Amino acid sequence: MEAFISPFVLYLAIAIGAAGVFLALPRRTRGVQAIGGLIAAVGGGLAILGMTAANIADRPNVYFYIFAFVALGGGLRVITHQRPVYAALYFILTILATAGLFLILSAEFMAFALIIVYAGAILITYLFVIMLATQTPMNDDVESLADYDLEAREPLAATAVGFVLLAALTTMMFRGVPQVEPAADATAANAIIEVMPGRVETVLRRGGLLQPGERIATDPTTGRPLINAGERTVTLSSGRDARRTIAWPEGLGARNIEGVGMTLIGRHPGTIEIAGVILLMAMLGAVVLSRKQVQLDDAEKSRQARTLAGSIGEPSASTPGPERTA
Amino acid sequence: MTSAWLMMTSSALLAQTGAPAAMAGPTLAHYLFVSAAMFALGLIGFLTRRNLIIMFLSTELMFQAAGIALIAFSRFHLNHTGETFVIFVLTIAAAEAAMALALVVLLFRRRESLDAQQWDEMSG
Repeated sequence: MEAFISPFVLYLAIAIGAAGVFLALPRRTRGVQAIGGLIAAVGGGLAILGMTAANIADRPNVYFYIFAFVALGGGLRVITHQRPVYAALYFILTILATAGLFLILSAEFMAFALIIVYAGAILITYLFVIMLATQTPMNDDVESLADYDLEAREPLAATAVGFVLLAALTTMMFRGVPQVEPAADATAANAIIEVMPGRVETVLRRGGLLQPGERIATDPTTGRPLINAGERTVTLSSGRDARRTIAWPEGLGARNIEGVGMTLIGRHPGTIEIAGVILLMAMLGAVVLSRKQVQLDDAEKSRQARTLAGSIGEPSASTPGPERTA
Repeated sequence: MTSAWLMMTSSALLAQTGAPAAMAGPTLAHYLFVSAAMFALGLIGFLTRRNLIIMFLSTELMFQAAGIALIAFSRFHLNHTGETFVIFVLTIAAAEAAMALALVVLLFRRRESLDAQQWDEMSG
C-alpha cells in the first residue's frame, strides 16, 4: 500500500496548523492573531506541499493550490474575525474559491449553483440578519465591539478537538484504507447521449453532416433513437427505407449539466420531492418563528429606547424620559 | 483578438467536450485534505465563537467541506451521484439558514444580545 504522505510530515503540519489556529482565534491581546494566521498558513502549506512532493506525478492542477489556499484562508478568517460582517464577507470569499475547486473538478453546474445559491441567497440572508441584530460601531476601535465577539470560548480545548479530528481523518492517507482504483474510462458517461436525439441532430447540423430531409432513425419496435454510444455511431434516415450509419461527430459528449440532470431526475426523483417538502417546512417554520411577538413590559421598552438613543449618540440618554405610569 | 483569447481560456477551464479523464488517487487525496481541514475549521469555529450568527456561519463552512469531498469523489468515480448530493446539501443548508436566522432574530429580540452564553440555562 503506497503512502500519500509521510506520517511525520502530516502530523507535524497538523500540529503547526493547530498552534496557528489557536493563536489566531479572537483574543484581547493585539497582534497575536496575525502571527497565528501566518503559522496556520505554514502548517496548511506544509501538509499540501508535502503531499504533492510525495506524489509528484499525480499532482493536481496549479489552480488547485490557489483556490485551496484562498478557501482555507477565508475559512480561517471566518472563524477568527472579530466583526461579524467581515466574517460573512470572508465566507463569500471561501465560497468563490470552493466554486473554483468545483470548476477544476469539472463540476461546472455545481460551481455556478453554489455561487448563486450560497453567495447570492444564503449569505445575503446572513448579512441582513447581522445588520439587523448588531449595532454598528461608531468608530473603528476594536473595544467598541460586543464582548462576545472579542474573546473566544475555550480556544485550547476546541482547537485540540478540531485538529485531533483532522489528524484522524487524514490518517487514511497512509494507513487503513486501501487505495481505491479510479474509474477507467468514460464511455458509460456518454451513454446518456443515446436518449438525446435532439442534441445529436443539432451537433450534426452544425457540422454540416446532415443532409436536407434527414433525421435520426428510430428503432421501429422500441421507438428508441438509433444512437450507439458504445460503437460511436449514429444511424440517419431520409425516407422510408433510406438509411445510413455515420460515425459519431467530433466533439459530441455528455456535458456535466446533462449528466447531473439525468442522475437527478432519473435516479433520485423521490429525493427531489423530499427536498421540496423540507424547503416548504423551513419556510413555514421561519414565518411562524419570526412573526411571534415578544411581550415586553413598559420598563423594558423604555430601557431599550434609552440604549438605542444612547447608541445613536443623542444627549437625551443622559436625561431619562419620564416613566409612563398610566 | 481579445475575445478569441477569452474563448480559448474559458474553454480550457470549462472543458465541456466529452467526459473528463480519469483522476489519480493521490490527486483525490489533495482535495480530501482540503475538505477535512475546512471541516475542522468549521468545527473549531462552532465550538469557540460566542456569537450565534458566527456559529451558524461555521456550520455552513462544514457544509462546504462536505460538498468538496462529495464532488471530489464524484469526479474520481466519473459519475454524477456526488454532484446531485451536493444539490441536496445546498437545499438543507438553505433550510437550515432560514430556520436558524429566524431563531436568532427571535432570541435577539428577547435578550438584546447575540451571546450564546446568555442562553446557557437551556442546557439544563
